[in-house]
Amino acid sequence: MEQHTGKIGIREYIAMVILMIGTKLADDLPSILFQKLENAAWFTPIIAGFISIIPIFFLIKVLSQYPKTNLMEILQIILGKPIGYLFVFMLWIMGLAANTFDTAIYTDIIGTMYFTETPTIFIYIVLMAVSAYGAKKGLEQIGSVAASVITYIKVSLFIALILAFSNGNINYIFPIFGPGKWEVVKESSLKVSLYIDFIYLGVIASYVSSTKAFTKGTWISLIIVIIEIPIAMLAYLCLFDYESVKLLNYPFHETIRYISLGFLTNIETFFFPFWLLASFVRFSIYLYISAVMFGWLFKIKNFEYLIPPFATLLVILGMIPETPTFTVADMKAKALSFATPTFFFLPLILWSIMKIRGGNKNEKKEM
Amino acid sequence: MLKNLVSFISDKFKIKNDYPEQLSTDDIKLKEQNIDTSLKKNIETFERIYFIPDNTDVKIRHLFIPGINKKAAIIYISSIMDTKIIEETVIRPLQNNQHTTIEITNIISAESVSTAEKIKDALKEINKGSCALFIDGEDQVYLIGAANFQGRSIEKPENEVSLLGPKEAFNEKAMTNISLIRKKIKNENLIIEATTISKRSKDELYIVYVKDLVNEELLKNIKDRLNTIDMDIIQNLSILEQIIEERPKSIFPTILNTERPDRAAYFLEDGFIVLIMENSPSALILPATFWSFFHSADDRYQRFLYANFTRVIRGSALFITIFISAIYVSVTNYHAEMVPSDLLLAISATREKVPFPTFIEVLMMESAFELIREAGLRVPNPIGPTIGIVGALILGQAAVQANIVSPIVVIVVALSGLSSFAIGDISMNFAIRIIRFGMIIAGGVLGIYGMAAIFTIGLFYVVSIKSFGVPYLAPMTPKYISSNDTIFRKLTKNERFRPGYLKPKDVTKKAGDS
Repeated sequence: MEQHTGKIGIREYIAMVILMIGTKLADDLPSILFQKLENAAWFTPIIAGFISIIPIFFLIKVLSQYPKTNLMEILQIILGKPIGYLFVFMLWIMGLAANTFDTAIYTDIIGTMYFTETPTIFIYIVLMAVSAYGAKKGLEQIGSVAASVITYIKVSLFIALILAFSNGNINYIFPIFGPGKWEVVKESSLKVSLYIDFIYLGVIASYVSSTKAFTKGTWISLIIVIIEIPIAMLAYLCLFDYESVKLLNYPFHETIRYISLGFLTNIETFFFPFWLLASFVRFSIYLYISAVMFGWLFKIKNFEYLIPPFATLLVILGMIPETPTFTVADMKAKALSFATPTFFFLPLILWSIMKIRGGNKNEKKEM
Repeated sequence: MLKNLVSFISDKFKIKNDYPEQLSTDDIKLKEQNIDTSLKKNIETFERIYFIPDNTDVKIRHLFIPGINKKAAIIYISSIMDTKIIEETVIRPLQNNQHTTIEITNIISAESVSTAEKIKDALKEINKGSCALFIDGEDQVYLIGAANFQGRSIEKPENEVSLLGPKEAFNEKAMTNISLIRKKIKNENLIIEATTISKRSKDELYIVYVKDLVNEELLKNIKDRLNTIDMDIIQNLSILEQIIEERPKSIFPTILNTERPDRAAYFLEDGFIVLIMENSPSALILPATFWSFFHSADDRYQRFLYANFTRVIRGSALFITIFISAIYVSVTNYHAEMVPSDLLLAISATREKVPFPTFIEVLMMESAFELIREAGLRVPNPIGPTIGIVGALILGQAAVQANIVSPIVVIVVALSGLSSFAIGDISMNFAIRIIRFGMIIAGGVLGIYGMAAIFTIGLFYVVSIKSFGVPYLAPMTPKYISSNDTIFRKLTKNERFRPGYLKPKDVTKKAGDS
């Protein structure tokens, strides 16, 4: 008989990571990337993915040195109490900001694309209430839900992309480097932070069944994400061409509106629920991670109780921008460039200091 | 002043009690005593306890045993025992005895004889159908087992119909039920433990398990939970189920109730624990996962392909039941663009004269369906089917003609109602039907968005349920070693593992390979 362990297996972990990062292909991220790189934008997730191997590699190195400790404690052990605390606080603020942007954007997607007459606040409250309910159930449950729905979500995405490709024109990808090779590399490396979620995985690393599972799971999900985001962006590009795709705020939703299947001309309602499922699970994970970090920062043991207040806070914050389609997207684009150095250098710094200090000496003392 | 008023009013309205409360402490004290050496005193005591001769079916018969020259008496309850056995194996041998030094137990030729020293122990056995033999001068009582409770014989299962499987069902006799299970598992490791679970009516519960498979911790967990029960009477398993389940208010059942001995035996062989009780035409199987409610006995007996085809049908039936009405409501209200225009025109043409919004329309028809269903269940047998068909036909036809509902709603509701019957398990069936209403409301309020929200919440809820420590969706998520019998099942020869979530002592099913 299985006792309550609170640990999640590798399947659940991979499903969670893919839903956290992979769902980005269906929000405004592609449109942010299309703005500067036009028809070469689909290189960005690939190049950024390859660059992010470095920080993820070092992050895993550091995390596996402290197998039973979470990221916050590791930061404090390596960087010392005040600086570590400051870093965690900064990460938490960044997470909260990202969460606010994302929930606002997702609410906007639902509001502008599907429920144009429903009050935004109502959509927002339902979105956050469901995510908060999921987050409050705990990581195990989020993992289980993620694992049980991921196949259907990905199958629906796959069908949507196939239909998009069959309706699109593959020649739209040329000229292949768009504004130029150098531009592509430069812009892509600025957007490495689109994988910054991997840093936050350190927070839940100690809940994964084993360090090996965490390492393996992280790499597998990185590979899947590096593959699926560019393919989706290619599909948008082929369907709309670069000029019009630049004008679209939510290319995935425009895509599922555009495609048709035989006698069914409007099939977006078939894909919409799966996207919703993915979004609910995604925000559950974010809320959970936020609550864990906040609980650690302010020594609150029962951090689950923070989740409903957090969800409420997000609704209040997310309702501030009046036209999230433009304001939030703009802020998000800036935040993406801003977060890149943090994502790239934090694991490097952690690892070098750890090496200089001579590995994990404090583990016994800290436990 | 106020006090006086209050006491005056309370005096005025006090219910006059004609029957003063009586304490049974004397009786309890009497039952705690030991058996006396005097036969006369013992008989008097038992006459007092059993209210003889007011109590008509409790009989006392006085005897004289020649040979040892002693007076004796037997007490029994004639309605729950086989008097023939007593006559042949107790009365006749005693009266014909010629030996002078023989022990009483050697005279009696009945198959089971035990002794008791306390009055309450003797009472317990007599109440269960034993015959008590008192011998003058002995401070103990002989208890001869001859219980024979009346009941029906083994019949066909009525709720869990199977085409190919055995056609025997459990009945209300615990011993028959145990015999049906033993018939399928002929192994010395099959243990049938008995415990008394209620304080007053002393209901016996049989805990059945296979000793070399079951997880000790799980068994201990279940026994602990059974030991904490503090109830006067637990009549049968359906009531016990409600007492021992972890979440009594949950929408999903967590203990499987089956009337098929073959199913119980199958679960036993996988390391599950089965509870059997007198007066219950079923067995409880625990722990239960979602899949055990989703599966039916026939899935085992049909060939691989047919069984999985059935599973597909049942799975789609499950989804149709939950979603179809809600989808109709949300599509017509919020996502009309997704319906092909010809169909949309047809729908709106039929809805032209209907005064209600679709949401109300669907809700009305669904409630009507539930009404027919519940009423059909309670109607006396001979007119049952007639009422059902007439009710459904007339209600549907007349409602459409009266422009109360549109024909398409009748189709949708009929489809959802029909599909709901594909889920065989009664508890799960209820769960699905209740969820359906939640979905319709969600679809009416927020369309597909509301439905997805409710579905996500439901999913989070389902994965958080545990039945005696086993996650509800195991072995799908979290993953365990098992034969992966979830939505689909494997070829029977490839089902090599017992469910790992039970942590059985032996996970591999086949003796030959490991």
